[in-house]
Amino acid sequence: MFIKFFETLRAKGLRVTLGEWLTLQDALDQGLCGSSLTQFYYVARMILVKSETDFDKFDMAFEECFKPAQRETEVGKEMLRWLDKSDMMELAHEEARAHLNQMEDIAVDKETVEETFKQRLKDQDSEHNGGSFWIGTMGKTSFGNMGGNVGGVRVGGQTGYQSAFSVVGARKYRDFRDDRVLDNRQFQLAFRKLRQFSSRLDIPETELDIDGTIDKTCNNGGCLQIVMQKPRKNAVKLLLLMDSGGTMIPYSSLLNDLFQAVHKSNHYKDVKTYYFHNCIYSKLYKTPECENGDWIDTEWMFRNLDSDYKVIIVGDAAMAPEELYSDTGNYRGPNGGLSGWEWLKLVKKKYKKVVWLNPKMAPGRAPWREAETAVKELFPMYKLTVDGLNRAMIKLMANK
Amino acid sequence: MEQQIFNGTQEYVASEQLMASVNIAIALKKPLLIKGEPGTGKTMLAEAVAKALGKRLIIWNIKSTTKAQEGLYVYDTIQRLYDGQFGEEGVNDIARYIKLGKLGEAFDSDEQVILLIDEIDKAALEFPNDLLWELDQMEFYINETKRTVKAKHRPIVIITSNAEKELPDAFLRRCIFHYIDFPERELMEEIVRVHFPDVEANLLKNAMDVFYNIRTIRDIRKKPSTSELIDWVNALQIGGIPADKIRKELPFVGVVVKKDEDLELVRQNPLN
Repeated sequence: MFIKFFETLRAKGLRVTLGEWLTLQDALDQGLCGSSLTQFYYVARMILVKSETDFDKFDMAFEECFKPAQRETEVGKEMLRWLDKSDMMELAHEEARAHLNQMEDIAVDKETVEETFKQRLKDQDSEHNGGSFWIGTMGKTSFGNMGGNVGGVRVGGQTGYQSAFSVVGARKYRDFRDDRVLDNRQFQLAFRKLRQFSSRLDIPETELDIDGTIDKTCNNGGCLQIVMQKPRKNAVKLLLLMDSGGTMIPYSSLLNDLFQAVHKSNHYKDVKTYYFHNCIYSKLYKTPECENGDWIDTEWMFRNLDSDYKVIIVGDAAMAPEELYSDTGNYRGPNGGLSGWEWLKLVKKKYKKVVWLNPKMAPGRAPWREAETAVKELFPMYKLTVDGLNRAMIKLMANK
Repeated sequence: MEQQIFNGTQEYVASEQLMASVNIAIALKKPLLIKGEPGTGKTMLAEAVAKALGKRLIIWNIKSTTKAQEGLYVYDTIQRLYDGQFGEEGVNDIARYIKLGKLGEAFDSDEQVILLIDEIDKAALEFPNDLLWELDQMEFYINETKRTVKAKHRPIVIITSNAEKELPDAFLRRCIFHYIDFPERELMEEIVRVHFPDVEANLLKNAMDVFYNIRTIRDIRKKPSTSELIDWVNALQIGGIPADKIRKELPFVGVVVKKDEDLELVRQNPLN
């Protein structure tokens, strides 16, 4: 059933699985959607979509598949109240129906009914029951409920849901849409590898110290004495230096993922992030826009962030060789009289563990990309993929 | 099983869609995952459902240090060791030292209960995955006593998340998902009136005007939420602030706006 809907959802980029689809079938079997398209919309959405960021995609797919089925015209609340006459149910017995049907002499054709219905909906201003013109209960026009006319439009219902298409049409969830690749979970998992436990931190003693307990108990003549210790905490400090130059723009969403993954991995002792433009010079910027003035001195960083910080440099290392080796440096921002190459060497000298992540790394030694090859000599370089990131993390944690 | 339908309660105003999702989660026997801005009543939903259906509510509050195992059971080895030292009675009986966690308690209950797993996103990344089997099969195995704890009556599981972390796909696939939209004015008015039935109309109107205006200010760091509006209305009532002063003087605005930067922004922006 509705296989086309399933396919459309997948085509729109929603990763609906067979299991979820079967759950929806189960819901349909149990009659949880009633016979209303609107109710079906909500039930399908709550089963198939698991994030508000995907609601918009779902809306689009739904519209595409079910637009032709749309027969729900927006009916005012007031109108529905007039029509909500469950107490009259007993009156609507077969006899009355038959009687009213006889009196209805116009042949019903769907389009005229709808047309007239909309017109009448606009004009009507009060409650009508049993009449032959307005929308009401017990009447013989084509509109309303409990009426005698079988071919008309049934107005009213207990659901009170907003029409599915008015929800879809409003595209209420457009703002939630988030097309930056949502799944940076893999990145986050890679960053979990960066763990170095230390128990010197100032936290309560909540773990059993087995060796300590055995010692104390033995000293105590075999009478048990428990020793507790502080749980081990991650002591890794991370320094993230990101290239924000023009050639990096195509990778901005990838970098964004990486950045978010680092910041969601809240198990580090400290994380610092600075930006540079093409290469590191005497200033590091605080924001990716790299605006003049909004910076810190690279030397300040050397002084204040000690050599235990693990450094991840992200950049494409695609500067021109002249730029890398020139004493006048970058066309923007001061360079403190040293070439980019010299600054990079200072970084290497200061920090024990540095890796370079490159979103467009050339394989092996690439003579046509001189700067990249040079940087590779200085720092271990990895391609910015989940796999490369994993290997970089292992390198950062390795003892040598 | 008899049909159980949740229709909101006197104290909890739920949108129709929210009620529908609760009922569908119950019918399909799947956990219901609730997301939404902080303060939109995610946690209160479980209380309301428990009340409406007349069932016991078991709350499992998740913290950053919570392990999945703690929800199942804890084996109190240290107590047993100590007891063993002094030859206490019953040390041989391991079961004495097995304490069921919240999930275990819900499974082991003689009647159907509502289990609220609150703020599941606070826990470590692996946490939801560690519970997949238990939530699917509604059973777990206690190694120490070789006992399988199986749900006598499948609990109604409600899970809330503030979206601080992404949840794993395998976990999401098994849930029914509902996102609580921020309430529109009418619904909001209804919600406030549930808490303060005789709030003065003019006061409420002014407070809501200011409240929704604050929410529309661009760059605001933390948008005020439903619960903050309720606190504010309460403060205004207790303080006996005349309605016409609310707009101009913003009394007790600290109840609604919590960050210094935001307070500055609110003061700068004309609220009319």
